Amino acid sequence: MNIKNELLSRLYVVTATFIIVAIVIFGQAARIQIEEGDRWRAKGDSVHLKYVAIEADRGNIMSEDGLLLASSMPFFEIRFDLNSSGMNNKAFDEHIDSLAYYLAYHTDRSLSPEDYKKFLVRKKAQGERYLLIKKNVDYNELQKFKKFPLFKYGQNRGGFIVIRKSKRERPFGQLARRTIGYVRENAQPIGIEGYFDDVLSGTAGKQLMERINRSTYIPVDDLTLIAPEKGLDVVTTLDIDLQDVVHEALKSGLQRHQADHGSVILMDVKTGAIKAISNLGKSKQYGYIETYNYAVGESTEPGSTFKLATVLSLLEDGYINVEEEINIQGGKMKFYDRTMKDSHPHGMDTVTIAKAFAISSNVGIASIANQYYTREKGAKRLYANLKSMGLTERTGIEIQGEAAPIIKDPNDPKVYYSGTTIPWMAHGYELSLTPLQLLSLYAAVANDGRKMKPYIVKSYARDGKITQNFYPKIDIKRIASKSTIKTAKRLLELVVEEGTAKSARSGRFTFAGKTGTAVTNYSKKGAKSKYQASFAGYFPADDPQYACIVTISEPSQKGYYGSSVALPIFRKIADKCFSMKEDLMPDLQEYASLNQNQHFVIGSNEDLRWLIQNLNIQPLTETNAKFGVLIGQKDSVLLKERIITKNRIPNVVGMGLRDAVYLLENEGLKVTVSGFGKVKKQSILAGTHTKGQQIHLSLG
Amino acid sequence: MTNTATSIFNVKGDKVIWAIFVILAMFSLLAVYSATGSIAWKERGGDTEYFLIKQALLIGGGFVVAYLFHWMHYLKFSKAAPVLVVLAPLLLLFTLAYGVNINDARRWLEIPFTGMTFQTSDFAKIALVVYIARVISSKQDIIKDFNQAFLPIIVPIVIVCGCIAPADLSTAILLFTVCFLMMFIGRVDWKFLALLVMCGLVAFAFLIVIDMVFPNSNFVRVDTWTQRIQDFMFNSEGGYQIQQAKIAIADGGLIGQGPGHSIQRNYLPSPYSDFIYAIICEEYGLVGGLAVIGLYVTFFLRVVKMVTRSPKAFGSMLAIGLGMIIVIQAFLNIAVAVHLLPVTGLTLPLVSMGGTSLLFTCMSIGMILSVSRYVDKPRTANG
Repeated sequence: MNIKNELLSRLYVVTATFIIVAIVIFGQAARIQIEEGDRWRAKGDSVHLKYVAIEADRGNIMSEDGLLLASSMPFFEIRFDLNSSGMNNKAFDEHIDSLAYYLAYHTDRSLSPEDYKKFLVRKKAQGERYLLIKKNVDYNELQKFKKFPLFKYGQNRGGFIVIRKSKRERPFGQLARRTIGYVRENAQPIGIEGYFDDVLSGTAGKQLMERINRSTYIPVDDLTLIAPEKGLDVVTTLDIDLQDVVHEALKSGLQRHQADHGSVILMDVKTGAIKAISNLGKSKQYGYIETYNYAVGESTEPGSTFKLATVLSLLEDGYINVEEEINIQGGKMKFYDRTMKDSHPHGMDTVTIAKAFAISSNVGIASIANQYYTREKGAKRLYANLKSMGLTERTGIEIQGEAAPIIKDPNDPKVYYSGTTIPWMAHGYELSLTPLQLLSLYAAVANDGRKMKPYIVKSYARDGKITQNFYPKIDIKRIASKSTIKTAKRLLELVVEEGTAKSARSGRFTFAGKTGTAVTNYSKKGAKSKYQASFAGYFPADDPQYACIVTISEPSQKGYYGSSVALPIFRKIADKCFSMKEDLMPDLQEYASLNQNQHFVIGSNEDLRWLIQNLNIQPLTETNAKFGVLIGQKDSVLLKERIITKNRIPNVVGMGLRDAVYLLENEGLKVTVSGFGKVKKQSILAGTHTKGQQIHLSLG
Repeated sequence: MTNTATSIFNVKGDKVIWAIFVILAMFSLLAVYSATGSIAWKERGGDTEYFLIKQALLIGGGFVVAYLFHWMHYLKFSKAAPVLVVLAPLLLLFTLAYGVNINDARRWLEIPFTGMTFQTSDFAKIALVVYIARVISSKQDIIKDFNQAFLPIIVPIVIVCGCIAPADLSTAILLFTVCFLMMFIGRVDWKFLALLVMCGLVAFAFLIVIDMVFPNSNFVRVDTWTQRIQDFMFNSEGGYQIQQAKIAIADGGLIGQGPGHSIQRNYLPSPYSDFIYAIICEEYGLVGGLAVIGLYVTFFLRVVKMVTRSPKAFGSMLAIGLGMIIVIQAFLNIAVAVHLLPVTGLTLPLVSMGGTSLLFTCMSIGMILSVSRYVDKPRTANG
């Protein structure tokens, strides 16, 4: 045979082999189809597989500075597929002793390893594929289980099935609980959880599940079709310290007056950010707890706090001058068939409009409103003004379930304005608003007429990185002219200086606001009156930072006036804010000026004076206080008082060590020090109550 | 030539092979489009056209590659062979050390600046076959000599296959088998062939020893091999994948459920690559299944017919070697789907959804067509 033929014959042998292989392979395909076909088709038909949605991890809800307000804690359930498709009997026999030992030790202590082994062997013989090993396993424990004999081979070969579950936890318990809200089955979603459900819930994945008996499906190993995508974290504007303050102040106020429920909102005037929001309702079992988001969801007749809107409208229309005198007839006046009374008895007849506002004379405000907003034209005018203040619309806060305001629209032919509608609207009846809607009006006045849209979520984040920011939004550029706002602010200050809120004046700081006492059940003749006491205002009066509204429903003891029930709560909150918040503390504001490259020296006044005299400088301002701040200007110096409050930790940043230690030890603190130079940092925030703590000063 | 359709593009070479190429490409588009439903949801948010377009572009690119290579004279490949066969193991070693790790195996190398990856073993397969074809055809007169013929043949085979095996045993075995058959056809001595089988076994044993010495390294995937073989040997019903594939084949009947009507594609893992034959059987029935096998067999018969005039020439050995790679890989893939072999991870050439490996297959076909172009002509054309 020549080379060519030998090659060819060998090639033909190979070719023939290929054809035989092709026939065998095709024969096998045909065999599967024809011989075994019915069995496989039956197996395919029985709906033994399905895709099940696997929930993604829910995002966290966080406070302004990243503390967890609501978080999903994963936990696991461990099951054992004793007859998994990849497990061979040899491996099972080999590992069963040690596995039984571990399981007996880590799960049911009542079974000995030998009994546990017998149990597993019996279950395997019974065809068990979904044996419950342990519930409520946390992540760390799961890592241990994963290393157990046999289990370490995973689901297919080791029969190790992990079912992931999660529960929602609120680490701060009752704090802002209702505002944080929830999403549950068979319940209306509420709060931030409800409003941001889409963002928080992420994208569900899909997992192929195999049915092993009538109602049990087990995941098919590794065949996750779509991995779930974790939801975004929602970062709120809530400040947990302020939230705590607000919660405790509201709670003690409600307890003192045994009220049915109440709410407080604390808002940043400049941005509209909600810093704290608290809603407490009485529960027989648990005392006062967060049960309903009254601040956002409950729309009521506000009463006298609404007078601000009436006065704003009258001022804006140029109808009144607040120094003008009016007759308030001793606090009692008849409008058609209804008699109006002032809630605070005063016995005055002729007062200025400003005074009438300060003492909350219903008659005073109602009569001037009634005088100028007559008939349909007047009603339309007033309505238009309220509309331009944004009072006829929801605020759009991102909390599920905001109630709509109700203000009668005279343009709507179905709405009935009676002769008493305007005077009653003027002092906050025949209309209804939520506390948040009313507060945003007060905040707008405080913010020189610029109405910010209230908001509670400042960003979305994923794994600690911000993915989207939300910035403060201007809702209405100017709700009224500059002069109107200026007058309105003055009126609100008068309420505190000489009006219904006089009792709560503070020597330490200023605030402005308006009391409200509304009768909530006036339509029920003869019934004992129920009240809603409120106070809405802002502080500090001269440079407003925070706006706050306190609303207390149905106080049942120790008074019912806004001034005696709601105002003390407001005052307490303002007090705490002044102690806690650096931007409200005058002494700390000077510290802030350090950043602006200003030179300053802090020390005892005596030392500073000696210094000035020796340098032969005449300071522009002087103080006689014990401690002073010497602030360098371009060509002179200012000597200002450093305020030191009893029982509070002073701000000693910028001081020399001697002065700082003197001050702190006088307050009973133990001082530790590191470094050289002036105090650069103090370990406890200024304004904190002193109680013999240890404080550390870093010098530098 | 009178065929106007082909003369437009000036396509030459064996028309039947071109036709088979086109028909398999059609099968590929239909089956891939149907089978990528779930991966489209998984990776592309439901954009099912994405994979169809991607595959169409790849096949289009594949035609261009085949066209370019079929225009080249195949003797150029012979000249490049010594360089290629040195380059191949270097690339393979580089891949093992620095390659992209996909599914626990380092088989891919990134082409700089393109973001594309390719399997170095695809390149090595062609390089080795070109070289072996060259040596066998040039040493026909002394082919029975151990030192002069057998060693130059066997050393590159052992090195290249040895470099492929750690990450991709199936491809190494495939390539080894093809080389073995080329040597058999090329009249290498029986004794040497027997020795070669021994070498293969020793090399395989060596890998297992490495794995025993370094049990925690992922270098050699003995775990995966033993598990797959165990699954095959001890589970007569087949594992989950196999069972789903069998359901698909059984569902197909004689003429199938029709294009795009596969149900099992939802339950079968990688229905667009490893198990695409099962999806073809489900949608086009036994008839479709037979057609696909028939196409590969016909393809090989055309190669055989083509080389009968001068089987010992370099071009003939090259066409036989490249043809065998495609056909044996197809058989291995189909054999897995019908549960005749353990899971190998080998794709169905030209049909499975593929990345760059599809382009290498097209390159092989282009080279075979180049050979057919010249063996059709009188010998004088041979330059």
